[in-house]
Amino acid sequence: METPHIDHLSLEDYEHVYEPAEDSFLLLDALEKDLDYLDELQPRLCVELGSGSGVIITALAKRLASSSLCLATDINPKACDATRRTAARNGARVSAIRCNLADALRRRSVDVLLFNPPYVVTSDEELQTQKFDSQSKSATEGNLVFSWAGGQDGRRVTDILLKQLDDILSPRGVLYLLLLRENKPEEIIKYLEGLKFKAVKFMERRIPGEYLYILKVTRCSS
Amino acid sequence: MKLSTYNFLTSMAIKGVKVGFPLKLTINKKEVVETEFNPTFVERLLPKLDWSAIYGAAQVNPSDMRQKMSFQAELTEDIPAVQPENIGENEALLQKLHHLLFEIDVLEGQLECPETGRVFPITDGIPNMLLNEDEV
Repeated sequence: METPHIDHLSLEDYEHVYEPAEDSFLLLDALEKDLDYLDELQPRLCVELGSGSGVIITALAKRLASSSLCLATDINPKACDATRRTAARNGARVSAIRCNLADALRRRSVDVLLFNPPYVVTSDEELQTQKFDSQSKSATEGNLVFSWAGGQDGRRVTDILLKQLDDILSPRGVLYLLLLRENKPEEIIKYLEGLKFKAVKFMERRIPGEYLYILKVTRCSS
Repeated sequence: MKLSTYNFLTSMAIKGVKVGFPLKLTINKKEVVETEFNPTFVERLLPKLDWSAIYGAAQVNPSDMRQKMSFQAELTEDIPAVQPENIGENEALLQKLHHLLFEIDVLEGQLECPETGRVFPITDGIPNMLLNEDEV
């Protein structure tokens, strides 16, 4: 899998959109490692939630170009635009939709779901006192906080997604979810078991200051 | 917004909305981007798609008169209301579907919830489906 070009994105873009970093690259590496599985799965619809720069879904779209439809969602219009530009820069077909998580998608339609959530442990107030503001001019004012601030245990957004997972994934669907050790991956694996999903730590990596995991989640029946 | 993307969009997240599909599509500005025709891909994707929304998309007339002429000539007659059987053997229809689903990009327009009338604008090719807190 090729790492997409991102030279079209500027410092100004990164004022509003999360800049690809070690966590993004771990998710890319996990997909690369699981390409045999993905080829076998023959996904028709692949979706990345909170696509930010769009680097991950673009890489997947390039690899699966002739066999999958790739969509990306983000609440941040600048991220939707960055995703569109990243896809175009790399000759990939990705459609961006501005929405919260998978709210705007038909039920149980997604075969491959990717999510690098806002995982940093913060106070819940930090999340709640922020209101997404399309007119916001700079990163410090606020919008970028939604790309990383995760509230208690860094799990606020992830937990919402997990609750909806049964309604999002197709019968054969798979989720690749990035987590931080502080997000308590074991607790999440147990929780998903209760919802009849099988979750495994598919990859892990230590980076300066963080220990990251990729959780691979499938339905127990599949 | 490609019309293949349109096929997956719903307003179901609005409080009280049951199905929210298909959304009512209005096209104010579109562009056609030629892409390589892959009949196998179109055929494989079809079971995932909702035919009524494919048919509906083919019936939409751009509000701009000049675009309207070419659009109508292209599609309204070509896509049958009911999905034909053995579509894989009908390469001409697969070609039309390819054009409809992957080559037409809606740049400006709107989507409307069939149950509440809530309007979602499409700007610069990106549909804004984000709901306010009091709507969910």
